[in-house]
Amino acid sequence: MTLRLVLRLAVRDWRAGELRLLLAAVVVAVGTVTAIGFFVDRLREALLSESTTFLGADRVIASTRQVPQGFRDAARDLGVTHTDVVTFPSMLFADESEEARSQLVSVKAVGDGYPLRGVLRVAEEPFGPAAVTRAVPARGEVWLDSRLFPALGLALGDSVSVGYARLRIERVLAGEPDRGGSVFDLGPRLLMHIDDVPETRVIQPGSRVGYRLLLAGDDVALASLREAIEPELAPNYRWRGIADANPTIGEALDRAESFLLLGGLLAVLLAGAAVALGAHRYARRHYDHVGVLKTLGATPADVQWGYLGVLSAVGAAGVATGLVLGALVHLAIVAALAAYLPASLPLPGPRPLALGAVTGFVCLLAFALPPLLALRDVSPMRVIRRDVHAGAASRAFTYGSAGLGGLGLLVWYSGDIWLTLWALVGGVGVCGAFAVLALGLLRGGRVVGMQAGSAWRLALAGLQRRYRENVAQITIFGIAIMLLLILLLIRTALLDEWRAQLPEDAPNHFVMNVAGDEVEAVQTLLASHTDYDGALFPMIRGRVTSVNGQPAEEWARTHRRGPNGPGLRSERNLTWSDTLPGNNVLVEGEWWPEGTGEALISLEAEYAALNGLGIGDELAFDIGGLPVSARVANTRRVEWDSLQPNFFLVFSGGALRDFATTHMTSFHLGAEGKPFLNRLLSEHPTITVIEVDEIVRQVRSIVGRVTQAIELVLGLVLGAGALVLVASIQASHEARLKEHALVRALGGTMKLIAGSLTAEFAVLGAFAGVVAVVGAEITVSVLRSQVFELGYDLHPWLWLTGPAIGTVLIALIGYLGTRKLVESPPALVLREL
Amino acid sequence: MHDGSAESPILRARALNKTVPTAEGDLCILDGVDFQAGAGESVAVVGASGSGKTTLLGILAGLDLPTDGDVWLDGEEITGMSEERRARVRGRCIGFVFQTFQLIESLSALENVMLPSELRGDPAPRDDAAQFLTRVGLAERVTHYPRELSGGEQQRVAIARAFASRPKVLFADEPTGNLDTATGARIIDLLFDLNIESGTTLVLVTHDAALADRCSRVVTLEAGRIAS
Repeated sequence: MTLRLVLRLAVRDWRAGELRLLLAAVVVAVGTVTAIGFFVDRLREALLSESTTFLGADRVIASTRQVPQGFRDAARDLGVTHTDVVTFPSMLFADESEEARSQLVSVKAVGDGYPLRGVLRVAEEPFGPAAVTRAVPARGEVWLDSRLFPALGLALGDSVSVGYARLRIERVLAGEPDRGGSVFDLGPRLLMHIDDVPETRVIQPGSRVGYRLLLAGDDVALASLREAIEPELAPNYRWRGIADANPTIGEALDRAESFLLLGGLLAVLLAGAAVALGAHRYARRHYDHVGVLKTLGATPADVQWGYLGVLSAVGAAGVATGLVLGALVHLAIVAALAAYLPASLPLPGPRPLALGAVTGFVCLLAFALPPLLALRDVSPMRVIRRDVHAGAASRAFTYGSAGLGGLGLLVWYSGDIWLTLWALVGGVGVCGAFAVLALGLLRGGRVVGMQAGSAWRLALAGLQRRYRENVAQITIFGIAIMLLLILLLIRTALLDEWRAQLPEDAPNHFVMNVAGDEVEAVQTLLASHTDYDGALFPMIRGRVTSVNGQPAEEWARTHRRGPNGPGLRSERNLTWSDTLPGNNVLVEGEWWPEGTGEALISLEAEYAALNGLGIGDELAFDIGGLPVSARVANTRRVEWDSLQPNFFLVFSGGALRDFATTHMTSFHLGAEGKPFLNRLLSEHPTITVIEVDEIVRQVRSIVGRVTQAIELVLGLVLGAGALVLVASIQASHEARLKEHALVRALGGTMKLIAGSLTAEFAVLGAFAGVVAVVGAEITVSVLRSQVFELGYDLHPWLWLTGPAIGTVLIALIGYLGTRKLVESPPALVLREL
Repeated sequence: MHDGSAESPILRARALNKTVPTAEGDLCILDGVDFQAGAGESVAVVGASGSGKTTLLGILAGLDLPTDGDVWLDGEEITGMSEERRARVRGRCIGFVFQTFQLIESLSALENVMLPSELRGDPAPRDDAAQFLTRVGLAERVTHYPRELSGGEQQRVAIARAFASRPKVLFADEPTGNLDTATGARIIDLLFDLNIESGTTLVLVTHDAALADRCSRVVTLEAGRIAS
């Protein structure tokens, strides 16, 4: 066939609306992938750059030794900005206090330019409203945490001593980006200039000093720097990125990325399904054309190349339109979410465009090629005998090609073979199971339908008669609905999880070092000024000395599984409780009865597993020089992200009651309640208050943005899903219409036909809904446990809403899709089909 | 066997058998059929429904292959050819007129008539096609699409398309089956007129005895065998 003829056929098919569905599917596939690609690329960059504020830099080199000058030189040579930070504990003396009070503080000495990412926040008065500053303390100045002012009876402008240096209090330090780490390890903060450190003479050989070199620059320069200094890093210097700096944020980012990718994958799969349906329909409608062309002398090769030409033309047009559409959609999204996004999003790279273009062509080749190639084998005998085999594509080829193309795209797109494989295993298993379930539903429906009214009887009879197509259609509808349900469930699960961890009233202040005789007074004070719920944890330090009579060192050598995670022999905070702490879930064993006299202990599940400990093991402890032993009664799962007081080891009440302990608790305090801390600390100067509200605020802001992104992806996938539904309904259009035109010709009213068609689609939708719910529950349970590492519950509401969504959605789309032809005269319908 | 033109048969078939597998075993549709048609001859193939007429037409035209036997068209054995080569022979030597017209819906009347020439890669098919449309009385309807034409007009487009490829043999399968009597009669007049004008061999499958009588020879099929 000549190129001109091919193009003419393509143009004619386009005008006749034959190619619109196929083109729309390609445009949606390319557009969705491109838009998600652009957005995810930019959002990931933005989130990463925001997350780097938790480090105060893009990367950090940390050590207990001084950072060699060579590192700074290398950074300067590579154009990487850098600044030094030194941290060390020291006593702070309030020079002007009448009682010459002092307190252990965590000193951070910073150089000019600090922080390289994020901002410092200062206040004009202790616990007052915070404002951003670009400055750092000048030489001779210090900035102090709010809680130090009431504790030491200080005011702005007073002098304090750190070692030999006398420094003036210039500002109240309200927030620093790289506070990070475990909040419990920190004393109150004192910020000073790094050039004042020598004058303090605090740093001596053997001092507990942390040296950090903050680095900022583009990824290439940072990678080069790391390569250049790599040989000198180990074993004394640690190179840290955002994932090491704050595991909570790292995890949130990972989950968000997994979700966005999953959304992208689903959009590709859905668009692929739409392309496949569109191509099958196009091919089926061209069997007769090909028959005629062949009688007129077109060879199989002519047919093959001709339709490949049509496919290429569709591909080129679809990809070009899709890329433009994707870019526009992404711009619209960025504009719509402007309030939630960083002011200047980094520009996207070319990857999303390549992603979109390749997706378009691979989608077409994998999903549309088999039915179109099969056209070459259409027998010309079809022109005189319609019953001659049309030469439909072999199933193995169709599914093999779609599977291979889909898998290739998914792996390439996600770069995550496990996520892809899970999605695929779910997909294939679900298809098979869906088909069986759909067949059962159709058979059952026919039996029920015998008793139904005429429109329903006609509908159910039609469904049963074309059961092969309908099983396929229920499966496709079911998968589309299932994908949407999965997205909804996972989105809900992720958001719930995050919200549960960081609710509005999540504790954002910890009180520690509350002595036994202060407990009552502190509790009363907290209860009258905050939403404090009365939970108070006794706390005492202790270490494990032996397990089942075997020295702990020996036990660790023989039973330890893996190098990372909490060790057996470290000194730990211990507590005791009669009840299972909130936020904890029993994994194994039983909680002890209240008031038990037996010495029992509850272990955090991961700690127990890592150290080879199980129920019934006898642990011996050294607590303040005294031996204590207890038997392991149970293991617990602990939500470490929850910002509640959490413990690896919890004793039964009887075991530790006689030890002198301090107590800790946590409570929520809004910004307006901050001045209360002045009173709390003035009345109880020996207790320690740790504010984590700044960290909570930062985490919540990131979670908020990630939520926006997730909702956006859900919207895009919904669009792709709707397209599949339309494609699927169109695919079965002719068979249904021909049958109903016949019924009309035999006297059936338009109302009967419209009712029957709507009923048919409604039943298909309801069945698909049932099938979708089954699939969604199974897939989500797998995804939650394997990918997102969350717990799982069934969703009873889904079993009603799934079929309801299916019924309404498909009946509506089906009704709208067939309305026009139902209204046209039956003779016309019969003639056109 | 009837010898239409024993000296130079343009179409010759020998011992054609066609069986198809069914659930109840093989079904024999054609059983040892011999057939021959000379240049310019018109042959009607008649018979009851299920006698094998359409199957014979398909095999003679190279649209289908027999289980046994061979078909020679214009000196070439088409039964031994690949589908690729048979298609080229069809394009070069054969024209078709079908009961259901078989026009391509998305192409205009003119474009439908141009199709065979375009498939052959002829340089200027448009004028030729327009002439044939004029010849069948549709000069005013060249830009119309099939759905805008009546059944009779569609069949006239199909006839124009069949003759536009200047075939040596024209196969017509119940060409008036979908038309009323008057329109059918005009279509048949047109078909025979063009046949005589262009010297084409006409093989016509029909139920219509009157139509069969207009052919120079009638072949009757009964249960897959030649009865007369």
